[in-house]
Amino acid sequence: MANLTTDGKLCIEREIDVQIIENDETEMTSRYSIADTCNWINSNKYTKVCLQFPDELLGISSKVYEELKKGTEADLYILGDTSYASCCADVVASMHVQSDAIVHYGHTCFSKTNIPVYIVLNQKSLDIDFTMKILRENLTDFNLKKMCLLYDCDFNHLKDDLTEKWFQQYPNSYIASISMKESKHRFFGRVVKNASSENFSSEILKDCVCIYVGSRGRTFFNFTVSVEAEKWYLLDPASNQLDVIQETIWFKRRRFLIEKCKDANVVGILVCKLAGDQTKQIINRMKQLCKANGKKCYIVSVGKPNVAKLANFPEIDIYVMIACPENDLYDSRDFYQALVYPYELEVALNTNRDFYFTSHITNYEDLLPGNLHYKDINDICDSTDVSLITGKIRETKVTAASSSTDLVQKQNWQLENIGHSLSKRSWKGLEQKLGESDVKQVEVGRKGIPLQYLNEPE
Amino acid sequence: MVNFTVDEIRGMMDKKRNIRNMSVIAHVDHGKSTLTDSLVSKAGIIAGARAGETRFTDTRKDEQDRCITIKSTAISMYFELEEKDLVFITNPDQREKSEKGFLINLIDSPGHVDFSSEVTAALRVTDGALVVVDCVSGVCVQTETVLRQAIAERIKPILFMNKMDRALLELQLEAEELYQTFQRIVENVNVIIATYNDDGGPMGEVRVDPSKGSVGFGSGLHGWAFTLKQFSEMYADKFKIDLVKLMNRLWGENFFNAKTKKWAKQKDSDNKRSFCMYVLDPIYKVFNAIMNFRKEEIDSLLTKIGVTLKHEDSDKDGKALLKVVMRSWLPAGEALLQMIAIHLPSPVVAQKYRMEMLYEGPHDDEAALGVKNCDPEAPLMMYVSKMVPTSDKGRFYAFGRVFSGKVATGQKARIMGPNYQPGKKEDLYEKTIQRTILMMGRYVEAIEDVPSGNICGLVGVDQFLVKTGTITTFKNAHNMKVMKFSVSPVVRVAVEPKNPADLPKLVEGLKRLAKSDPMVQCINEESGEHIVAGAGELHLEICLKDLEEDHACIPIKKSDPVVSYRETVGEESNQMCLSKSPNKHNRLFMRACPMPDGLPEDIDDGKVNPRDDFKTRARYLTEKYEYDLTEARKIWCFGPEGTGPNLLVDCTKGVQYLNEIKDSVVAGFQWAAKEGVMAEENLRGVRFNIYDVTLHTDAIHRGGGQIIPTTRRCLYACLLTAAPRLMEPVYLCEIQCPEVAVGGIYGVLNRRRGHVFEESQVAGTPMFVVKAYLPVNESFGFTADLRSNTGGQAFPQCVFDHWQILPGDPSEPGSKPYAVVQETRKRKGLKEGLPDLAQYLDKL
Repeated sequence: MANLTTDGKLCIEREIDVQIIENDETEMTSRYSIADTCNWINSNKYTKVCLQFPDELLGISSKVYEELKKGTEADLYILGDTSYASCCADVVASMHVQSDAIVHYGHTCFSKTNIPVYIVLNQKSLDIDFTMKILRENLTDFNLKKMCLLYDCDFNHLKDDLTEKWFQQYPNSYIASISMKESKHRFFGRVVKNASSENFSSEILKDCVCIYVGSRGRTFFNFTVSVEAEKWYLLDPASNQLDVIQETIWFKRRRFLIEKCKDANVVGILVCKLAGDQTKQIINRMKQLCKANGKKCYIVSVGKPNVAKLANFPEIDIYVMIACPENDLYDSRDFYQALVYPYELEVALNTNRDFYFTSHITNYEDLLPGNLHYKDINDICDSTDVSLITGKIRETKVTAASSSTDLVQKQNWQLENIGHSLSKRSWKGLEQKLGESDVKQVEVGRKGIPLQYLNEPE
Repeated sequence: MVNFTVDEIRGMMDKKRNIRNMSVIAHVDHGKSTLTDSLVSKAGIIAGARAGETRFTDTRKDEQDRCITIKSTAISMYFELEEKDLVFITNPDQREKSEKGFLINLIDSPGHVDFSSEVTAALRVTDGALVVVDCVSGVCVQTETVLRQAIAERIKPILFMNKMDRALLELQLEAEELYQTFQRIVENVNVIIATYNDDGGPMGEVRVDPSKGSVGFGSGLHGWAFTLKQFSEMYADKFKIDLVKLMNRLWGENFFNAKTKKWAKQKDSDNKRSFCMYVLDPIYKVFNAIMNFRKEEIDSLLTKIGVTLKHEDSDKDGKALLKVVMRSWLPAGEALLQMIAIHLPSPVVAQKYRMEMLYEGPHDDEAALGVKNCDPEAPLMMYVSKMVPTSDKGRFYAFGRVFSGKVATGQKARIMGPNYQPGKKEDLYEKTIQRTILMMGRYVEAIEDVPSGNICGLVGVDQFLVKTGTITTFKNAHNMKVMKFSVSPVVRVAVEPKNPADLPKLVEGLKRLAKSDPMVQCINEESGEHIVAGAGELHLEICLKDLEEDHACIPIKKSDPVVSYRETVGEESNQMCLSKSPNKHNRLFMRACPMPDGLPEDIDDGKVNPRDDFKTRARYLTEKYEYDLTEARKIWCFGPEGTGPNLLVDCTKGVQYLNEIKDSVVAGFQWAAKEGVMAEENLRGVRFNIYDVTLHTDAIHRGGGQIIPTTRRCLYACLLTAAPRLMEPVYLCEIQCPEVAVGGIYGVLNRRRGHVFEESQVAGTPMFVVKAYLPVNESFGFTADLRSNTGGQAFPQCVFDHWQILPGDPSEPGSKPYAVVQETRKRKGLKEGLPDLAQYLDKL
């Protein structure tokens, strides 16, 4: 997911693992579910369909395209260089050709979109028997406890086999299997089921020992922080090791950032996702929160965010980033101002939320009205408080200056505020310095292009 | 019975010339609180018989249990002075005509070095200080520290020699020996005063002199005390000699020959030192008679000194009788009161010379004049020096001194925090004073209003101030100067609730703790850890106990104490460091180098500060540190926080658009100075020079986004190429012990990387004083260790002294600094290993 940075050099120098593709056509058809895809396109009568590949699969995109063309009449477009992250369906790019649907290849984060998406997952091999054996050996005393198995979406093609063997070994446990359809208890594209295929909400995982089969990446990370479980185990098939994972340090750091949100006077709402009306709703929600707390906010949309772009607004104290939960910029410490999740701004500014949380909500959709974790915003009165970060008094000033004191004469608070932040700058514009600088003869200036001027000192 | 009412006190507040605001300061365990009891009992607040045991001003339970003062406590008292004593007050500004009542606002302060921030806060609101010295152990390290602070704040000192009972009963000192001891203490105190005070300065001569009556002698525990004035009064009539002249005769090299009735300046076989003869002999006689149970002698002595025993005391003997006799003969309260009223300045006198030290604004504006003249009709100027917890949890009284005008219940005032700048809105609130109150030790009394020159508490402003601030009604008022503490919060512990769900309570508790102590720092670190930082282990122990029991009210877990480190450099960058902006169109060329010794401290002390006139500052830097004058004039900023001990200097020549990117470079510098490259600790003592800058000609390509991160990268490269080093805090540790224990001290210090730089015997005592530097990191458990190695005979006093480079290269695995860096990085959740220069350095 490092593809969110747009350091030019990185893009050019980055090496991508291109998978060597066997020219076996049957392999192709099954691996990329060509037949099912064609079937989906045809039955829904889509005429323009985009095929979205992550960078590492671009190499075979034309092959897939050719194969698909054999089975469907629809216009197909290949999307490369996705706007934000390749795990999300790139609705904006697909809108450029006004397509009806997207076929998404590779790893996905199962985020909601407002355009039909057909997901074709990667298929990686997994030695199920061996995996079960490791579990059996390591988790001997857990027979009495409730357990739940989760697996990486790359292993979804082995779903049936895996489910069967899991329940054989642990009949009283659960499995969170990937489900492409929207349903009541679905979280991160998964639904918890027991041996008799009954669905449960993710709440029941609270007293379960959860085991995730897959590599340690953002997907697993999201589970560990946002799904409460008794314990999280990671079983990485690459190393075949079973580890307990805890993110206590991460939680501490996030609570610090929540304090920072409370300290902030100006909040930047950084939009890194465009798909769906959910995005608009969450932006409005964030604006509402800022307004209720007397903080100013600005919407910032700069394409893929990077350090340089965001540092252009030094007056902004903190950014709340509206992005896919699998985005790894949230944890980056290179930014001049920190980036927080919408949930963190909620905790900081919504008095109805508990400051102490044991599970995070990385998926902002849950915060919206009607969803699982929605909380009303209470009216907030003017108050003061000590900030443990700066050691200074911080003030929540909801009412405009005109009514609160007679310190200032009635004036436009907004305008006044802008003047305030600019007054800290030393450079106020072009300076004439008449009479202050010596008269000098004309000198030869810079030559060449800014990348490296010709007459630059060594 | 309390001999005054609140109304009387309120009446006295208007008589500003008859007010004395004073603090009691001393080394730990020299008997401040015990002595204060004498005055409190004279005021009738506690019974005379219990004075010396009550320690009325130790209001907290733990203070009583541990017999140690932790918080400074204020009390207002009313006394009347006799007509014969009033004549000693000659300065018309020292008393109102025809008024013999005096209002004494007294603050008893802690003596332990860990709480010296409380002393600082007490000194700020008072004008005089009663310096108590245990005459057995003499002038100690903390005596010197508090005295120095007092002089720096322009507080006039008077001296009291305490624990005379011990000198007589335990040490059985001969009269001449005792005189020599007193003489030495007076001299020592005057040497300290002379070191820090300029006699030609605005305070004038402040040395203490027994013959003037500004030195008292006695025993706080037994409740008796005297000055030479008391004894002179006894003899003046008999000798037919002027009182003042006699006082001079009773001290120093004055000898009297009883046979020839002649005074001499030299000792010979027949004469005797007057002090011993007329002052100490009678006291020795009383002591001897009573302690040796010589009944008849006692009776005749009692008649001589004019003491008649009350019926209930008549069957006492030994120590109990001694106390009663001495207390009635030489009542401590009376002697102290006279010393205070006669020798300490009234606010009218003191504020004249203190104003320029107190006020940040122009010295001729309304506020300044109000302070200078202690004018109750001028605009209100009040300094809040600390917050005192109320019985209402989480709320505080703002305790402070009214320097000008009047503060009243219901008054609307401007509350200005330490970050307020005139004309700006930051840290400024206009609110109503809910109530003004009088602080009476453990009680408070509501009072309508308080005029200038008095000390009081305010209700309702605590929410707008963290620890200190200025309250005023004058719109153009500047702040009163922020206090400078002699100690720093260098010892830190991380705290967390035992039950994680109590976290919100912990956070709330930390906020309250931050207010309740003048110096403690409660910090939420980048890593999310909650840190409490204090001056030493004892200070932290008390803070954490308060946090657990009073402020958060939850069980807490605390980490082992740790220190914070600073990052610095050992030499100049070995190459010109170039970093390019992300768009490759802007280039910065810089180098880092260490500052000369002393400069970081000068910046800490404010001798070199960002608000100075740049020309004056440049001249100072050039003269003292041999900085190039042109460069020294182009210091762009200090950092971190715009004030710290690191500099960014513009050494470029003729770079276009440079002014335009200054703000961005400064922002990047502040960032890098706050979070250094090795372990994200603050930088210290690093000077960065900008040698050249190449900028894109279009403003759009050289904005903050391009420059801020690039500056940080370039500064990091500079640090990495300049032999990065870590600095650790070091205590100055003074240990008092008998000679036999000295060897044990060396052993303990050696094991803890400490080094002794001075060892001397306290003159006139068998005690030795060992002075050593001890890294704070090695000081945990030091006191206990020292006790067990010296059989409990050695007591250390540790106070933060300086930062010192931790020997070793932090980039060399296996070295001590390397281990510290790795540990810190791990704790902060940073990538382990060492920062990579290639990440920050670019090639042209």
